[in-house]
Amino acid sequence: MNHDRLSSGLFFLLGLLICLQSLAYRLGTMAAPESGFMPFLSGAAISLLAAIGFVRSCSQGWKAENLGPILKGHAWQRALLTLAALLGFLILLKPLGFLLFTFFFMVFMLRAIVPHRWGVVIGVALLSAVASYLIFDIWLKAQLPKGPLGI
Amino acid sequence: MDAIGGILLGFQVALQPINLLFCFIGVLTGTLVGVLPGLGPVAAMSLLLPTTFHLTPVSAIIMLAGIYYGAMYGGSTTSILINIPGEAASVVTCLDGYQMARQGRAGPALGIAAFGSFIAGTLSVIGLMLVAPPLARTALKFGAPEYFGLILLGLTTVTFLVSGPMWKSLLMAALGVFLGCVGMDVTGGTPRFTFEIMELFDGIGIVPVAMGLFGISEVFLNVEQSMDRSIFETRITSLLPTRSDWASSWGPILRGAVLGFFLGVLPGGNTAIASFMSYALERRLSRQPEKFGTGMIAGVAGPEAANNAATGGAFIPLLTLGIPTTPVTALLLGALIIFGVQPGPRLLAEQPQLFWGIVASMYLGNIMLLILNLPLIGIWVRILRVPYSILFPLILLFCLVGAFTLNNSMTEVGIMILFGVIGYFFKKWQYEAAPLILGLVLGPMMELSFRQSLTMGDGNLLFFFQRPISATIMVCALVLLVYPLIPWPWNRLTDE
Repeated sequence: MNHDRLSSGLFFLLGLLICLQSLAYRLGTMAAPESGFMPFLSGAAISLLAAIGFVRSCSQGWKAENLGPILKGHAWQRALLTLAALLGFLILLKPLGFLLFTFFFMVFMLRAIVPHRWGVVIGVALLSAVASYLIFDIWLKAQLPKGPLGI
Repeated sequence: MDAIGGILLGFQVALQPINLLFCFIGVLTGTLVGVLPGLGPVAAMSLLLPTTFHLTPVSAIIMLAGIYYGAMYGGSTTSILINIPGEAASVVTCLDGYQMARQGRAGPALGIAAFGSFIAGTLSVIGLMLVAPPLARTALKFGAPEYFGLILLGLTTVTFLVSGPMWKSLLMAALGVFLGCVGMDVTGGTPRFTFEIMELFDGIGIVPVAMGLFGISEVFLNVEQSMDRSIFETRITSLLPTRSDWASSWGPILRGAVLGFFLGVLPGGNTAIASFMSYALERRLSRQPEKFGTGMIAGVAGPEAANNAATGGAFIPLLTLGIPTTPVTALLLGALIIFGVQPGPRLLAEQPQLFWGIVASMYLGNIMLLILNLPLIGIWVRILRVPYSILFPLILLFCLVGAFTLNNSMTEVGIMILFGVIGYFFKKWQYEAAPLILGLVLGPMMELSFRQSLTMGDGNLLFFFQRPISATIMVCALVLLVYPLIPWPWNRLTDE
């Protein structure tokens, strides 16, 4: 599908949703605008501009570079694995603690995305975990969760 | 306080050992960020912002500003040596810089980039010192309609200047303004679009959004591509440009400095635009325009001078009007607000040590960069040899920790990841993120000044055109807004 058509369609819907929700916050009058006034205007602007984009993409017809899946020809699985690792931070940081999480995070990234030799993986993961622990926890005194090891 | 008295006060502040140290850390980090492709100054400043919370506002802003102009220095190294720009402002340096390296002239290319950056950076700080105080005095006369006009002008200029169709960039700005509305309404106290999430009551933070849009999304895109890169193997013998190199570079450096400074002051005129315009100007003025792209030193000197000068210029609207004109200055504005400092016309009168301390630190930072960059080029080359597949998990780790430590909250991390995914699709669909960031930062200010103006004018929109300064600014903003919508014949040609 034409990307501009798809994206402008999504933005049009988003703008409409913003406008509808803004009504719940009350718009007020021009002389005394209330809480919903500015979100309503921005939502309306999003929808209007998306509609312009949609019409423009339709009037220009199908462009070769706008066709085909956006993920085609790219190693999008790597991006997906990276996203999974980031989401892992949300779930695993508190139970594992910063030090252990960093170690496993680095091991995962260095093996799953572009596999390195195990020696390199363990070495870099250990070094990163210890160095980031020293920098963030000890030096910068960031309040990072402590795991079962107490660090 | 006059400019001389002010700058003397500034040096007293900037020369304090702690501020010197943080200036050094800032410029060193900035250079490293500039050297490393895929990690720009916005992402680096977002990452390091939480680490500055225990510093004084002066030290923190000195360090963050150092990252900004340091990145402009560092960006040229990768452009020249591996034909990959470290950040957007160095894209144009690839054209002639890399060709010079291929001809065995990497040393003079790196040298003139560093010297040109130093000269232009220093000149722009002098410009900042001279222009900011009178502008701040004028801005004291501004009311809500003038501020609204300025914000509108800033947003329309950005949308006018970024690449791609105007509707896309305006849409991004509108989305940014909407995101700026999320949280407690500043006048009514009503929570809006918060979905009962406590962290959203204070609004969506610029830092996780910027980290996501500029840092995480860039990593997603990079991991999809081949992660191999090769450094052009050349011996860097002498970094000092020859007399003939200097003769060819003086003009471009001075022109680049002036052009970059004024583009930096203009809303939306960022460092990348400054470098591109300088390159175009030098090619137009050259007696041998056809040789540009084959290793002309003027094609390195001019753009590198322009992008550094633009950093100094960008501080003028930020410090005197409290209006950021680029994503980087938007982040600096966010940082100042976090530290309880409200940038604007009163900053100079109320916190002269902060204002002049930043200005003086920029002089010192430029000297540090010149001293640092020439001998450290060998080290930067070695760092560039670290495979990206090892580097990117570290970048991600820094992003995660940076977002988490903002409020010790997973919500901020979630926002960052969400905007990373959104930014990934924005890049695929060719939507520029810069207007969104500006909209997010300027949104609350825009809403407040718009609502105040409407109340003052009894709901009459013509009120914006009844005050001379406000009317002038509004007309400029509207011209920029309407100009691309008119089907000029030359626009049609460019589209085709």
